[in-house]
Amino acid sequence: MPDLPANVSDPASTTVSDSDQSHRYKRLFKRFVLLTLVCSVVPLLLVGWVISHRYQRSAETRIMTAFRNEVQHHRKVIQLFLKEHRAKLELIAQTHDRQDLVQPGRLRTVFDLFNQEHWNVTDLGVIDGEGRHLAYVGPYDLLDKNYRTTHWFGQVMEKGIFISDMFMGFRREPHFIIAVKGNDAAGPWILRATVDTEAFRALVENVMIGRTGEVFLVNPQGVYQTTSRYSGRIMENAAIKVGDIHPGIQVRQEAADAGFNGERTVRQIVATAWLETPQWMLVVRQDYDEAFATENRANYSVLIFLLISAVTILGATVLVTRHMLNLVKRRDAKAETLNRQLMQASKMASIGELSVGVAHEINNPLAIISTEREILLDACQRVDHLDSAFGAQLDDSLNQIDVQIQRCKRITHNLLRFSRRTQSVIDTVDINAFISEIVDLMEREAKSSGITFFERLSPEVPPILSDISQLQQVFLNLITNAIDAHEGKQYGSVAISTTYLEADETVEIVVSDTGSGMSGEVLSKVFDPFFTTKPTGRGTGLGLSICYSIIKGLGGRIQVKSVVDQGTDFIIRLPVRSSDAKTATRDHVIPVEQAA
Amino acid sequence: MIGSKILLVDDEVIFTRNMETLLDARGYRSTAVNSGAEAIRALQNEDFDVVVLDLKMPGMDGLTTLKEIKKLGLFTQTLILTGHGSIDSALEAIKLGAYDYLTKPCQISELVEKIEGAWETKDELRKKDIEEKIQRVVESPRDAKHLFVRTT
Repeated sequence: MPDLPANVSDPASTTVSDSDQSHRYKRLFKRFVLLTLVCSVVPLLLVGWVISHRYQRSAETRIMTAFRNEVQHHRKVIQLFLKEHRAKLELIAQTHDRQDLVQPGRLRTVFDLFNQEHWNVTDLGVIDGEGRHLAYVGPYDLLDKNYRTTHWFGQVMEKGIFISDMFMGFRREPHFIIAVKGNDAAGPWILRATVDTEAFRALVENVMIGRTGEVFLVNPQGVYQTTSRYSGRIMENAAIKVGDIHPGIQVRQEAADAGFNGERTVRQIVATAWLETPQWMLVVRQDYDEAFATENRANYSVLIFLLISAVTILGATVLVTRHMLNLVKRRDAKAETLNRQLMQASKMASIGELSVGVAHEINNPLAIISTEREILLDACQRVDHLDSAFGAQLDDSLNQIDVQIQRCKRITHNLLRFSRRTQSVIDTVDINAFISEIVDLMEREAKSSGITFFERLSPEVPPILSDISQLQQVFLNLITNAIDAHEGKQYGSVAISTTYLEADETVEIVVSDTGSGMSGEVLSKVFDPFFTTKPTGRGTGLGLSICYSIIKGLGGRIQVKSVVDQGTDFIIRLPVRSSDAKTATRDHVIPVEQAA
Repeated sequence: MIGSKILLVDDEVIFTRNMETLLDARGYRSTAVNSGAEAIRALQNEDFDVVVLDLKMPGMDGLTTLKEIKKLGLFTQTLILTGHGSIDSALEAIKLGAYDYLTKPCQISELVEKIEGAWETKDELRKKDIEEKIQRVVESPRDAKHLFVRTT
């Protein structure tokens, strides 16, 4: 017998193989999951990142532009305020002379007109070329003050107009002035207005840019010209770095200086713009996170969506991969089974072929031995005087030779039957014609046994798809058994009937005999391999077992009913279409019945 | 029937020789040949009542030989005696017109029984044929002259 493959015959090898297989499936699982993730999650994240990045950039540009516009607008407002006041003062200085303005009540009228719509100017004063106050309207007592030595006085006298930085002056509180120079017959004179600090601060500071935004002015020396919301008060030195004077508006992101916002010191957006006159730097700042709050929320949403998508894909991947792997495992197992069956079938076919050869080769010499025995028997009969003891021994020996020849014949015939069982060819079988042929054949065998054969074949039986060779084996077996069951009886009958069961799409064939029947005990083992009631040497106990496996293999079922001393019925049902029935009856238990 | 002529066809020389001895001892007149071709030649040259034919032989096998025998249109009956024991080939042989079949090894008594059955069949066929011919002679004497050219 050829060696079986290691994974079939050797349990230890099988265990190792299973372990390898398990590792292989694990590797396959990891590879599937990884591949699916690379092919799905990575592009998803990439696309998500690109979209998010593009959106962020676009949002940044939009927000920065809005910030820039805000600052530009605010600078314009402040400059307009200063220009308006300067223009008013210039107008007064050009349309009035000092004599006119120093007349009692005249400056008050101008002052009232100045503040008619908004309270923007704290006081108004007329100063001569020597720095003396000629007239003054305001809350302070400054008429006796001389400004000849002050910085602003010199600047006005030199340039004709001057807007000061914030300074404390005689009144000891932060303020700034706008002063213009006038000329009359008596020489130059100055009209000076002090801008109301609170009004100016309100104009500058009260621009609400979110919860964390602040607006303030610093001079080139870095001194606050208005109060910062978070960083410092007016006239204090500012923490912000004042760079060179630049045209236009600069917007940048930078780390927030300590104390900005009072809460967070992470990042801030800073926009700076310089006023023309005076040269103050307008600063607008806002916490970066607040400015980008909407965009950040959108980003978080995208991130969460991506995360959920990735987790879902991961979960689905694991589930699908597991399912696929189970399919692969089942398919592998099926392939393995088929492979083993194929190998087994191939092995059996080889044994079958070998059996046919061996059986034939043995039958021929057996036939010669048999003829030699017959010749010896003939020769003995021709001898007149034979020693009685020798004659008896010769008879015994010749009989024993015959017994052993018959034994060998049964063995070779079983081998031939086995070989036929290994080859299965499904084809259309006309059951009635088939039964007639078998009966015809067996009638010749049983001619001398006193057994009559009856056929009751239904014309409605359709052709079926089956293996005629295997069916021959089954019915030859059953009919041989039916004939053998009459041993000891002089007469008997074997009846074979066919019926078409349309509802089940099956053909029922019943082989009935009038033989000795079987007891319940025998009946329960009748399909067991190696179970036989025949004397030793006459039956192998494989016939009905082979019948059972053949009928089962052909998708049919076999039942047996028997009554002791009355006879036995073998009932076989075969599907009209073999493949359908195979599936349907795979798990059926084939019952063995004993009639009461 | 004592004196029946038997043609034994088998590639086993010893087997055919032994069968010859046994059948001759029982009153038959047997001739042994060891191939299908020899069997056909023998049948063309000589009349036999029964042919005992093996199925598995080198050259022309038993079934082919049987077909050729049938082509000769003789009353001779063919009995299959084979060591191959294949039911398919036995059924095929019966379909092709073999009288019966036996598997090797068999007892001489079984073979004799089958030979007797075959001889009876052949004899019945022959008698029936003769009766038919006589009937035709009676009905149409002119046309029936050629019918008696050869009888077996």
